[in-house]
Amino acid sequence: MSSDLLLEVKNLSCHFDVSKPWLNRLIEREPQRFLTAVDNVSFNINRGETFALVGESGSGKSTIAKLIVDLIHPSSGQILFDGLSLRETQGETFKTLRRRIQMIFQDPFASLNPRWRVGDIIAEPIDAFGLAKGQGEVSKRVETLLDKVGLSGRDQHKYPHEFSGGQRQRIAIARALSAQPDFLVCDEPTSALDVSVQAQILNLMQDLQDEFGLTYLFISHDLSVVKHMANRIGVLYLGSMVENSESDQLFKQPAHPYTRMLLDAIPDHEMSGRRRKQVTGEIPSPIDPPSGCTFHPRCEFANTKCTQERPKIHEINGSFVSCWASAENRISISS
Amino acid sequence: MTEPLLSVRDLVVEFPKRKTRLTALDHVTFDIYPGEILGMVGESGAGKSLTGAAIIGLLEPPGHIAAGEIWLKEQRIDKLPYEQMRRLRGKRIAMIFQDPLTSLNPILTIADQLIETLQTHLPLSDKDARARAIQLLDEVGIPAASKRIDDYPHQFSGGMRQRVVIALALAGEPELIIADEPTTALDVSVQAQIIDVLKRMCHDYGTAVMLVTHDMGVIAEACDRVAVMYAGRIAEIGDVRQIVKDPQHPYTQGLMGSIPSLTERVDRLVQIPGSMPRLDAIPAGCAFNPRCTQQFDRCKQQRPDLIKTKKGQVACWLYDGESS
Repeated sequence: MSSDLLLEVKNLSCHFDVSKPWLNRLIEREPQRFLTAVDNVSFNINRGETFALVGESGSGKSTIAKLIVDLIHPSSGQILFDGLSLRETQGETFKTLRRRIQMIFQDPFASLNPRWRVGDIIAEPIDAFGLAKGQGEVSKRVETLLDKVGLSGRDQHKYPHEFSGGQRQRIAIARALSAQPDFLVCDEPTSALDVSVQAQILNLMQDLQDEFGLTYLFISHDLSVVKHMANRIGVLYLGSMVENSESDQLFKQPAHPYTRMLLDAIPDHEMSGRRRKQVTGEIPSPIDPPSGCTFHPRCEFANTKCTQERPKIHEINGSFVSCWASAENRISISS
Repeated sequence: MTEPLLSVRDLVVEFPKRKTRLTALDHVTFDIYPGEILGMVGESGAGKSLTGAAIIGLLEPPGHIAAGEIWLKEQRIDKLPYEQMRRLRGKRIAMIFQDPLTSLNPILTIADQLIETLQTHLPLSDKDARARAIQLLDEVGIPAASKRIDDYPHQFSGGMRQRVVIALALAGEPELIIADEPTTALDVSVQAQIIDVLKRMCHDYGTAVMLVTHDMGVIAEACDRVAVMYAGRIAEIGDVRQIVKDPQHPYTQGLMGSIPSLTERVDRLVQIPGSMPRLDAIPAGCAFNPRCTQQFDRCKQQRPDLIKTKKGQVACWLYDGESS
């Protein structure tokens, strides 16, 4: 099924230098300090599927999104899109590759230029990639795109402030689609929206996926949204991928203790009578992460091995899990 | 039946504009009973936070209460002089704001802020106030409270800061806490902890809470009763179980359906067409009628008031015959 593979992330790491200025370091005799935002993460996304990344704030979700669209550069590792890397291609190939990967940001109040008319915002990628010739054709394309996302063609003459949050996110989606991409990185696309508007946007995203055969990388902290949208889910903790499984499998049989903890923490908004378990502790600082498995201080299954050695990734029932307790069958599979 | 602690009657909040007036809250009526947690849900702009601000007397001018009454037990509090209202705030009604980052003073230690609040409202010596402050921090679940009390807000994480804010709100031993989106800025995992603290503390102290949020998860978890707001009006009030499982108002039904389910697999989410009207363009009759799938002639002409039904109270003409 290698032809189905669209995006391949291999051993991706990203460190940020958070040291003091060198003179201070020299005088105070302090070493350089690094923050590990993404730590050796690998995953694959198949064509037409929705891959979701979940985790608490500070787990590295958004950093991975920015790495994939090449807004920041990785410290090591590779991101291959159809076998090509944005960092290694040049000229026409680079430009095509750039066009095929687009991003939708979290906050539609910040991601649209308030001084530009909506039509210009959407037309910019069309012009940049030369996808239409002449004003007339560009304007016609903008109209079709606005129509596709459920706005009217007349809206192209308005400014972003004339729209509500949900409508702005529709504009952001139209802008992303104007480059005719295959792959959309959606960084918390509905977190800033109300539930009823969220439902509209999620439905729209599914319709567009069916129509244009899009592939999504969907980043969210809301597990019920992720369950609704994703085929596969990657769970991040402190920059590393602790579990990567099929959506149904993850919710039915979470293998990593952290995934279980996340699932237990979801509020029971349907009042099905499920007891919500108390989460203990908070995510540690990525500057000075715990030794061994980074989750061990919060894990009820941790033993000495967990505090010393980093767990390797192993496979159970099609899920990729990085946990000693699960590898050594110290925890039962079904919860 | 016990007397309500807070009683809001036909509250109208208006913002004057050059030629017209915007009615942000339109005849809002509800009660909060001692010790209960009342949830306020609705989309942004529905008037949830404004209701809280009106109760505690923190409406931003030019917004003002144009009509209606707010009673805290036997005292009418909507027209109190500034100085009396100031005394009441923090002592009888406290507030928890959304963002724990901005609601604490960054240049004072937690001890300074807690002790100041305690001494403003209660006759305590410095030593007693400090001891009480440590006790409060301990109760809201801050580990090593006696050490952490001298830290500054930036030394705490978001969840810990929100615990401090809860301790601050409880310092004056208020009868009512207005919590305005207390968990929105926090992670889901931390959110559970904060809701738990809030619930436990209110239970221990017998404090009533008005919990303003747009998160149905938080509502289902924490509240006893829920009021659903739409375009500055209350659409439905009822027991939390009824609102979640068996909503009556078509708007509440749509709202509940739009939340992705964890237990069932659905292909498409229910979506309410359109969006909430702007305050200057609220339709005649029922404010929800242009988006409603079950609307009929009367909805366009007459505005429904809250109708008591067997299940709860709902402002919808569909239930007109059922009033009891």
